[in-house]
Amino acid sequence: MDEEKKSMKRRSFVKGLSAWLLASGAAVQAQAFSGKIPGRDEEDQRYVGQEGKRFGMVVDLRKCVGCQACTGACKVENKTPRHHFRTWVAEYERGEYPAVHKVFLPQLCNHCASPSCVKVCPTGATFSRGDGVVMVDDKVCWGCGYCVNACPYDKRYFHPQSKTVDKCTLCAHRLDSGLLPACVESCVGGARVAGDLNDKKSQVSRLLAGFSTAVLQPSQGNRPQVYYIGLDGSVQNQVRGTVNLDDLARMRDGKPRREWQTAYK
Amino acid sequence: MEIFESLFTISSVTPDRPWGLNIPNYFWFTGSSAAAFIIASFAHVFGIRKYKPVAGFSLLLAFVLLVAAPLNLIDDLRQPGRLFNFFLYGWDHFLTSPMKWGVLLLMAYPLLILFEALLLYRTHFVHKAQEASSALARGFYRLMALGNMRLDEAALQKDEKRGFVLGAIGIPLALSVHGYTGYILGAVQANPLWSTPLMPVLFLASAMVSGAGLLIVLLPIVQRYFSPMQRVDGDMMLALARLLGWFIVIDLVVRFFWLTFAMPFAGDSGYTLVEYFRHHFVGVVYVEYLLCLIVPMIIVFSPLAKRVGWVFLAGLITAVGVWLFRWNTVVGGQGIGRTATGFLEHTPHWFGPDSITAIMANWGAFIAILAIVMLIFPWDREMAEHYQGEHHGKE
Repeated sequence: MDEEKKSMKRRSFVKGLSAWLLASGAAVQAQAFSGKIPGRDEEDQRYVGQEGKRFGMVVDLRKCVGCQACTGACKVENKTPRHHFRTWVAEYERGEYPAVHKVFLPQLCNHCASPSCVKVCPTGATFSRGDGVVMVDDKVCWGCGYCVNACPYDKRYFHPQSKTVDKCTLCAHRLDSGLLPACVESCVGGARVAGDLNDKKSQVSRLLAGFSTAVLQPSQGNRPQVYYIGLDGSVQNQVRGTVNLDDLARMRDGKPRREWQTAYK
Repeated sequence: MEIFESLFTISSVTPDRPWGLNIPNYFWFTGSSAAAFIIASFAHVFGIRKYKPVAGFSLLLAFVLLVAAPLNLIDDLRQPGRLFNFFLYGWDHFLTSPMKWGVLLLMAYPLLILFEALLLYRTHFVHKAQEASSALARGFYRLMALGNMRLDEAALQKDEKRGFVLGAIGIPLALSVHGYTGYILGAVQANPLWSTPLMPVLFLASAMVSGAGLLIVLLPIVQRYFSPMQRVDGDMMLALARLLGWFIVIDLVVRFFWLTFAMPFAGDSGYTLVEYFRHHFVGVVYVEYLLCLIVPMIIVFSPLAKRVGWVFLAGLITAVGVWLFRWNTVVGGQGIGRTATGFLEHTPHWFGPDSITAIMANWGAFIAILAIVMLIFPWDREMAEHYQGEHHGKE
């Protein structure tokens, strides 16, 4: 009888233990399976963004002179690593002498309304804030690179130090302190205008209402929120032209091959 | 002159791409595993007697390939120490990220093959456990026998039934595991080469080719040097050769539909693909298609298929060719410029993560795991039993 009692006791202990394990496991799971990352769970301001706003940019290409002040200002403000840029101004020449035209294309993350990078992220490290700014949490990102391939605008890269994906944040840290993005602040011609698209009185809204604008690669379906005034048709979609002359110069100068570089044929 | 024809890029930023050697290698491993599993299932699920002698080995091969494959993915992560983040976060992207649900398939599939193999060879492990002299060995074989030491008629029947069920679930799972890898690429609409709903089908079709090719390469080696028969089953090689031939036909048909739609009838991306294939003409048309698909197809459908050496060669070429297809798709596809003009070229590193030596190490791991699995499982004795008293063993 004693033996049976012991076995009963043991059985109830095992039962209790497994129930306890299950319950605590479920509690952990419930937290883990919120589907979000810690910053969003805690509703951290930096993750949630500014309530009721929707940030975007209008680039007035008639005013861009290709001075690269934005490229430099961004590099300094965000301390981007060597050879990597969050924004830059591509420079093209269209036509042949004497019918020649220069085309400048300032580019940055489009902070899309339907970002293909966010969709494919398996860890949730990249996400859209409530105000539309697309961010990467470099504490969560595991560096699979799926978002880098999913971005139709090539605006993501691996940061060599953090070994995570890095990209333009529209200077969210500045926006949240009431400042303008560094590229906007430094633009000598006033070509870059950033602001709240929800505020009908903001400068971006007035430019959007007053001019015909276009976005890059609209057929990708990402609904980009960086609009261009005076966008040249030859660069709106995937750019087809000669290879980057910078890269040709690299080859001419006998510089070492990069892991990925323009193919010459 | 059209304005598009005279655009000169003076300066821009040439982007880096995230995926190198690891990814095509991973795709090749999972694909070949799916094919090896399907070939094993011809015998285990569909009861085709012809494939019985290779079914056991093929199943084990499928398992080993799928154990080695994910190592490529871990190596590809820039932050492999954050592997656990996958399980903790990002579940709100479950439906839109093929990588999210794909990894779950990737974990379930090798477990299923393992259990199927353990059930298949349970009798052997029970005997081993009974013969074992040390407690450790006894424990190990008991574990391999799934803790079930019964060998009566009813227990064996139950094994067979369970094995059949696992095999039957395994077929869609094997197809899904490899289909999802195609899905990963197909879902990238920013890439004109990848963005097609046909991508999973294309991957499956070429996977069947590489899996049959790999089996044709490995089978004569293991039969000749590691099995009690010590000779190659020519009939089996002929059967596998013909199977490979039909897989190539299916692969070519799918590729025909892909290319004939993707170039002339695909809108803007069609122009890019024409440029792309012009850029890679020699590698794709002469090497990938002519040398690695058409030539082996002619070999396996010709009288040469009765010669083991030729079949071996055909298998080897197709297996390599499908690897090249994976490479051309993953690396070549990333080479297509989006904001940059022209095409990018990838130069793999020799050392470090995602390098040539990393891939060689992965192949080393594959061979080592295959050797261990071949030592533990009695695939050779099972194979020999199938040949006893049959006409199969003749060469």
